[in-house]
Amino acid sequence: MTSRPTRWFVRLSVLLLVVLSASPAFASSIGISVGAPETVTVGQQVEVKAILVEDGQPVVGAEVALTYQTTFGGRSGSVELATATTDESGVALMVYEQRAAHNDELQIVYLGPGTDPVDSYSFSITVAEGGAQLYQSESGVEIPFVNGTLVILVISLVWFLIALAAIRLVQVGKAGRVGKLVSDDVGEEGSMWIGVALASAAIFTAVGMVIVFVRAPVSNTDLTDPAVYDRTPIGYIDATYPYEGFGLADTSSAETGDPVVDGKALSLQYGCAACHAPTGLGGVVGVDLIEEVGSFNSFVEDVREGPKGMPAYSESSLSDADLQKIYDFLKARE
Amino acid sequence: MDTMTNWHERLIRKTTRPTLVTTYRYWVWVAFLVAIVANGVFQYSKQWSEGLYVTGMRDRISWGLYITAFVFFIGISHAGTLISAILRASKATWRAPITRIAELITAVALVVGASFVLIDMGRPERIFNVFRYGRWQSPIMWDVMAITTYLTASVIYLYAPMIPDLALYRDRLANKVGFIRRFFYETVALNWRGLPSQVRFLGKAITIMMLLIMPIAVSVHTVVSWIFAMTLRVGWNTSIFGVLFVAGAIFSGVATLVLVMATLRRMYHWEEYLTPKHFLYLGYLLAAFAGFMIYVNINEYLTEGFKLEESGEFAFRQLFIDDFAAMFWFYVIGGLIAPIVIMLIPKTRTVAGVVVAAILVDIAMFLERYFIVVTGLRVPLMPYEPASYAPTFIEWSIFIAGVALFLLLITIALKVLPMFAVWEMTEEHELAIARQTEPVLQTGYEGPAPGVSGSPGPDGLTEGGLS
Ligand code: HEC
Repeated sequence: MTSRPTRWFVRLSVLLLVVLSASPAFASSIGISVGAPETVTVGQQVEVKAILVEDGQPVVGAEVALTYQTTFGGRSGSVELATATTDESGVALMVYEQRAAHNDELQIVYLGPGTDPVDSYSFSITVAEGGAQLYQSESGVEIPFVNGTLVILVISLVWFLIALAAIRLVQVGKAGRVGKLVSDDVGEEGSMWIGVALASAAIFTAVGMVIVFVRAPVSNTDLTDPAVYDRTPIGYIDATYPYEGFGLADTSSAETGDPVVDGKALSLQYGCAACHAPTGLGGVVGVDLIEEVGSFNSFVEDVREGPKGMPAYSESSLSDADLQKIYDFLKARE
Repeated sequence: MDTMTNWHERLIRKTTRPTLVTTYRYWVWVAFLVAIVANGVFQYSKQWSEGLYVTGMRDRISWGLYITAFVFFIGISHAGTLISAILRASKATWRAPITRIAELITAVALVVGASFVLIDMGRPERIFNVFRYGRWQSPIMWDVMAITTYLTASVIYLYAPMIPDLALYRDRLANKVGFIRRFFYETVALNWRGLPSQVRFLGKAITIMMLLIMPIAVSVHTVVSWIFAMTLRVGWNTSIFGVLFVAGAIFSGVATLVLVMATLRRMYHWEEYLTPKHFLYLGYLLAAFAGFMIYVNINEYLTEGFKLEESGEFAFRQLFIDDFAAMFWFYVIGGLIAPIVIMLIPKTRTVAGVVVAAILVDIAMFLERYFIVVTGLRVPLMPYEPASYAPTFIEWSIFIAGVALFLLLITIALKVLPMFAVWEMTEEHELAIARQTEPVLQTGYEGPAPGVSGSPGPDGLTEGGLS
C-alpha cells in the first residue's frame, strides 16, 4: 500500500518523463520520404518504399502503413493496402496489388512505436490505361482449343449458313426478274426486296451477335474501358474499412428538407416499415397504411396508442414533428 | 375419275378458303382474343409502374408463372422443327400437309415465349444492358443467343418453302383479295415463277435450313434447361435436364400441333388433307415420346433418390407426397401414361382419342414446367421455413394473354398465309398416283409438268399475268 503523497509523486514524475521524452519526437521530427513508381497498371504488383529519418538518423523498427482514400457504399475513408516495419537503414518495403482503375491520394502513415502524431506523407501514383483483368478465376482447367474462340467459330458458322440460305432466297427473287426480262409473257412487275431485307437482317443480326460475344467482358467489367472497372464499388477482403454505420442510423438522411423523403427515411428508422412494409402497403404484421390515410390527428392518436399489438410510440421517443413527416410521406403515396 | 387437275383445283379452293371467306364468327373470335390480350397489356402496365411487387414472386421464389410460360412456349415451338425438318430430311411423305402448320406454330410460339422473358424482368428498360455488358459465362446469354438464332432460322424456314405457295396466292387470288393483301403477296412471292434456276436455289435454301434447324432447335431447349441445371439448386442439379427438356419440348410441340390441326380441320373441312392417318401417326409419336419421358424421369429421380441427401429429401417429399404431389402425379399418370394407353387400345386409337391425349399432354407439360421452376427454388438453402409462391391475378392475366396472343397470331396468319404446302402436297400426290395407276397419269393428267410442279406452273402464271 502506497501512501497518498507517494502516489502523487509517482504520477508527477511519470508525467514529466512523458513530456520530456516526447518533446523531441514532437513536431514531426520523424521525416518520411517515399520511393514509388509514377505510373502503374491494373494487376501490377507495386513496390512502395518508405524511408523514415529522425534527426538525420534512420528510424529502425518503426511500423508504417500504406493507405489510400476510397469511397464504398456512400462512405469514404482510408483503406490499408499494406504495412511494414523499417529495417536498419530506416526503409520499409511495402508491396500491394494495383486493383483500382485509378488511385486517389495514397498515404504513408506512421503507426508506431509510440503514439505521437506524425504527419503522414501523401503522394499519388497514376494508373495507366490497360492492364490485367481484376478478378480472373484461379481454379479451372484450360483445355487447348476448347475455349471462347471455338464458341465464336461455331456461332459464326451457324450464322454464316443462315445468311447463306437467305442469300439463296435473294437469288430466287433475282432469277425471277431475269425470267421476266427474257420473256415478257410473265405478269406484273414483281419484287425481291423482301429477300434482300431478310438476308440483310440475318447478316446484321449475325454480325451483331458475334460482336456482342467478342466484346463480352471476361469478368463483371468491360475490359476495353478501364473507367468501367469500378462501375460497382469493390470491397477487398483484406481491407479494413472505417465503420460509420450505414444509412438508417445516420440522422442526416432524414434532414433533406423534403418532408416526403424525410418521412420515408423516418418510417424506416422508427421501424414502421418493419411491420407496415417500406412502402406502407402493409406487411405480415401491420396493416396497409396507404389505403385510407385519415386525418393527421387520428393518425397521431393511433401511433401514440398502438392498436392491436403495435407498440405505442410516446411523445418522447417519436416527436410530433417527425410524425408529421411520416404522415406526409404516407399521404404522398396515397 | 378424279383427275390430277381436279384434285389440284379442289386443293387450292379448299386451302385458300380461310383467306377468302371471313365469317362473322371469325371477327367475334378475333375480338375475343384481342380483348384478352388487351387486358394482359393493361395488367402489365400495372406491373410496369409498381414493379414485380405485384406478382407472387419474392426474393426466395423469384421465378414463377412467367418463366414457366417461357419454357412452355419455347417448348411448343419445337413442333415445327421436328415434324417439318426431321420428317422432311427422312423423306416421310405423309408429312406434306402438316408441315406448314407446324412451322407456323414454331415461329409464333417463339415470339410469345421470348416475350415472357421481358415480362419477367423487373427493369425491362435495361434489356439493352444484356448486349452492352452481357457476359457469355452466363447461361442467360446463351439463351439470348440460342433463341435469337432459332427465331431467325425458323422464320426463314417457315418462309422459304412458302414462297411457291405465296406465288400461287399472288396469281390466283390477285383479284379476289384487297389491295393490301395483293401488294403483300406480290412482295413476298419473291418473283417466283417456278423457273428451274429458282427451284434449284430454293431447294438449296430449304436444305440448308432443314439441316441447320435441327441442331439449333435441340440447342435451344438444352440451353433453356441449362438456365436451371447450371444453377446451384438441389432439384435442378442434374445433367439429364437437357434431354428431359428437349424431349418434353417436342412432346408438347406435337401435342399442340395436334390441337391446332384438329381445330382447323373441323372449321375449314380439311378432312381430305388432314386425314386420320396424320393424327394417328402423331399419336404414335406422342406415345413414343411419353415412353421416352418416363424413362428419362425414372433415370433422373432414381439416380438422385438412390443417394438421397438431406436437401434432396425435401425436394422429393414436396414433389411426390406433399405440396406438389397432385401436379406431379397428374403429369405422370395423365400426361405420360394415359397417352400410351390411349394409343394402345384400338377403341380409343381414333382422331378424338389423339386429341384427348394431346390435351392431356399439353396440360401435363405445363404443370411439369411449373413444378420444375417452383420446386427447385423452394428447397431451402438454409435452415429456414420453405417459401411459398402462388401466381397473382396479374400474373394469370398476363399468362392467359400470352396464350391468347399465340392463338391470335395463328388466327391472323390464317387470313394471310397459305396454311398448306400446296406444291409439296401436289408433288406427293403426283408421285402417289404414278405409283398406283400408271394409266391415269398418262391419259388424265393435264396439270403442270412434273419438273416445275413446285410452282403454279406456266398455266397458272399466264392466268395470273392476264388478270
Ligand atoms: C410491431 C409492428 C408494428 C410497428 C413497428 C408499427 N406498427 Fe403500426 N400497426 C401495427 C399493427 C399490428 C396495427 C393494427 C392493425 C389492425 O388494426 O389490425 C397497426 C396499426 C397502425 C395504424 C392504424 C391503421 C388503421 O387504419 O387502423 C397506424 C396509423 C399505424 N399503425 C402507424 C404506424 C407508424 C407510423 C409506425 C411507425 C412509427 C408503426 N405503425 C409501427 C403494427 C406495427
